[in-house]
Amino acid sequence: MIRAKIYHGLFYFYVALVFVFVFLPILTSFVFSFNSERFPTIPLGHFTLHWYTLAFTDADVWDAFKVSLIVSLSVAFIATFLGFCTAYTDYRYNFFGKSAYLALSLLPPTIPLVIMGLAMLALLARIGMSGKIISIIVSHVVLCSPFAMAIVRMRLAQIDPNLESAAWNLGASQWRTMREVIVPFCAPALISAFCLTAAVSFDEFAVAWFVSGLNKTVPVIILEILQGNTDPRINAIGSVVFVTSITLIILAQIIYMRKSTRKTLTGF
Amino acid sequence: MPIVVWQLVFFVFPLLFLLLMSFWLVKNYRMVPGFDSVNWIKMYGKGYFWDGYWRTLGYAGITTVITSVLAFPCAFALAFKVSPTVRRWAMFFLIVPFFTSYLVRIFSWQIFLNDNGIINVLLSSIGLGPFSMLNTFFGTVVGYLTLCLPLAVVLQLISLSNVDQRLIEAAHNLGCGSFRTVFAVIIPLAKIGIIVAAVFCFILSFGDFVSPYYLGGSKPPTLSILIIDTTKSGQQWPRAAVVAITMIVTLFAIMFTAIALAYRRRS
Amino acid sequence: MPTNHTQPLVLFDRVTKRFGSTTAVDSISLQIFEGEFLSIMGPSGCGKTTTLRMLAGLEEPSEGEIQLAGERINNVTVSERDTPMVWQSLALFPFLNVIKNVEFGLKMRGVSTIERRRRALDWLERLEIVDFADREISQLSGGQQQRVALARSLVTEPRILLLDEPLSALDANLVVRMQGVLTKLQKELGITFVYVTHRQSEAFAMSDRVVIMNQGRIEQIDSAKGIYRNPATRFVAEFVGANNILSGTVIAADRLIEVDTPAGRFKCVESSDHIWSIGDTTSLVISADLIRLSTSAVNDENEMECRFISEEFVGSIVTVLAETPDGADFRIQLQQRELSELDLKVGATVYVRWDSHDAHLLRDTN
Repeated sequence: MIRAKIYHGLFYFYVALVFVFVFLPILTSFVFSFNSERFPTIPLGHFTLHWYTLAFTDADVWDAFKVSLIVSLSVAFIATFLGFCTAYTDYRYNFFGKSAYLALSLLPPTIPLVIMGLAMLALLARIGMSGKIISIIVSHVVLCSPFAMAIVRMRLAQIDPNLESAAWNLGASQWRTMREVIVPFCAPALISAFCLTAAVSFDEFAVAWFVSGLNKTVPVIILEILQGNTDPRINAIGSVVFVTSITLIILAQIIYMRKSTRKTLTGF
Repeated sequence: MPIVVWQLVFFVFPLLFLLLMSFWLVKNYRMVPGFDSVNWIKMYGKGYFWDGYWRTLGYAGITTVITSVLAFPCAFALAFKVSPTVRRWAMFFLIVPFFTSYLVRIFSWQIFLNDNGIINVLLSSIGLGPFSMLNTFFGTVVGYLTLCLPLAVVLQLISLSNVDQRLIEAAHNLGCGSFRTVFAVIIPLAKIGIIVAAVFCFILSFGDFVSPYYLGGSKPPTLSILIIDTTKSGQQWPRAAVVAITMIVTLFAIMFTAIALAYRRRS
Repeated sequence: MPTNHTQPLVLFDRVTKRFGSTTAVDSISLQIFEGEFLSIMGPSGCGKTTTLRMLAGLEEPSEGEIQLAGERINNVTVSERDTPMVWQSLALFPFLNVIKNVEFGLKMRGVSTIERRRRALDWLERLEIVDFADREISQLSGGQQQRVALARSLVTEPRILLLDEPLSALDANLVVRMQGVLTKLQKELGITFVYVTHRQSEAFAMSDRVVIMNQGRIEQIDSAKGIYRNPATRFVAEFVGANNILSGTVIAADRLIEVDTPAGRFKCVESSDHIWSIGDTTSLVISADLIRLSTSAVNDENEMECRFISEEFVGSIVTVLAETPDGADFRIQLQQRELSELDLKVGATVYVRWDSHDAHLLRDTN
């Protein structure tokens, strides 16, 4: 019994260790974003907002945020839509070449980002599409739609196969069934897919670095600062990005929960 | 079918174009379409290319093993030793890192691993060090772990959670000790998930350039760094394409071997 | 209650359904009348669900014609047929609450919000679940979900309701309760119910007529009693009830037909109009509940000496397993009280006998 307790304790300790490893860099960046020292180490200097002021009085940083926002929202929208279509096609139909179809829709994340960046840049440059916001969007949709597809497909795996038939049986047309049954059923997955793809796009730097040209996204700015000398502005920008994306995710979660509880309470 | 068109145009086509480009020539800093194997011959004749190739392969292999081994006890504990509530929260917190910037986390590690960084300051206060950790292989591995560990734990945890609890009880009932049960029952049952997690670690660390560059010191370069250097400084896109194609072929070969291994039936 | 026998509500005319190389339904012809409760019963894979799905329009017949109210409906799409179905899995929409589920069919037909709410509430009231109107589906018990599924299908006031093993997920007590609900509902509404099941108890308890299917073909269509007492084929005799089947040859075909079997010679009064002749091969079917059992011979006709093997209690009824002279199994159903009076030991000699009127002859012997 005592031995079992020791094992139990050891396991907990190990899990805690893993979480410390995972969260240490995130928290550190947060702490040091308020630290006055130019070269971040301990002991800490005094509290300051200097790095935030420095970062956010820079017009480039603001522009990058604007670009990132446009890119990630467009990407999330297109990728979620494409992912939903692919997942539904896979769920609903059997056809010749289906495995090739699935491979095509799921393979992009297995290609290293640097290579994707190079390939996209090479092609887009050739057809005169590089260095535009649209080129980042296009590349990111390629990278993100497989994630959306996977999330929606997992949700569809839980659907009662008779649910669609039941809707037809009650007089709903194919299109109506899609709108009234499939989409509502997938709603939680669609919301998750939207958030996840937005976040992936918002954080992606390698492909964006290759294809963005002058329309830099936030991670590209961070990458460029990182290439220079040690600069705590990274912590400031990183913290803002982190707080923003976490807030957005929690917000999406709350909106979704409110929607479903309200439904339970009043029936409308 | 819209995704097929999209992926063909923006995924397959760029990669095919990359292949095509690897046969083009560069004259006066401009690419000239053509069909010449000179890039392949030149690249494959370079010692530093092969050094980089084996180094990248080795780094990714070692990272995969280390990550899988470090992730397993954590995934195991979360799957079998904690309450469902704790497990859900743990899952949530393991997903949070995906929403934080990898670059920022790498920068944080620089703060820790620096010669004057947090770790060395702490060590010197008890009279040890300083150890140089930044721009070493150790630094690179810390970076890779930052990238891979949460994902590996999540994927392993999912497959371990799907292990039928009754089979474990049956094994105990048949006199199989706790430790032996892990290797004789649980790991074989969760094999596919564990291999998938490993494959993802391999893919991520094989292609990542941030850790070897900003924590490993970028020299000698891995293949990803080589691609960036060749493209960004030398304008030698066709040669970068050669490196890229070689990487893709290697990755696919390893992926398919691993997947075949995962789904292999016991004979 | 079949009312109008000249004009069936549903007509299957030599309907066949193939899936690739397998034939699920093999040229069946069937009439379903207005207002009757018809069950289709058979083992899994017999084609009963496929038959129902063809009627709902979820499968298209490979051959033959299906008519609804005199009109060919082969090419009418699912959503345009008014053939609502209650599913085995219920298939309630998990993201809609109870009332929204019930309203669904009306909404698809463009009924106004107020009107469909009123009608949905009516049906919830009728099925005694109006208190749950605003609940989520997941908050209901199995029986309540069942009622929601019924209300959802009936709210459009169809002429026919299709039910695909709707009670198979419920536990035994609830099944009996829901059977009561279904029969009462069907009688009150006077609409046609087509009920698919593999359980004899459900089919027999509720139906006006039962269709027995096997391997894509219809073996017999009759009332529950008719099927129970006069199985048309060996398959039906084996599938339904607790029947003893003795194969043999006709050796006398007079008013009484005498059959020679390995277990002995037995007489039988044949009720059907089939003409038997000497030398015909046949099977003699005797229902286990029509057999008497004693410890001494009465020297009656249709008597056989057996060995007592075992007994098996099912409530107040007990099934006795005995061994015939040629070593086959023979089942006798008795009241528990009757058996204890006999005080049998395993291996004891027992005599079984039955009335010539209670035996039944089968035409096919393979």
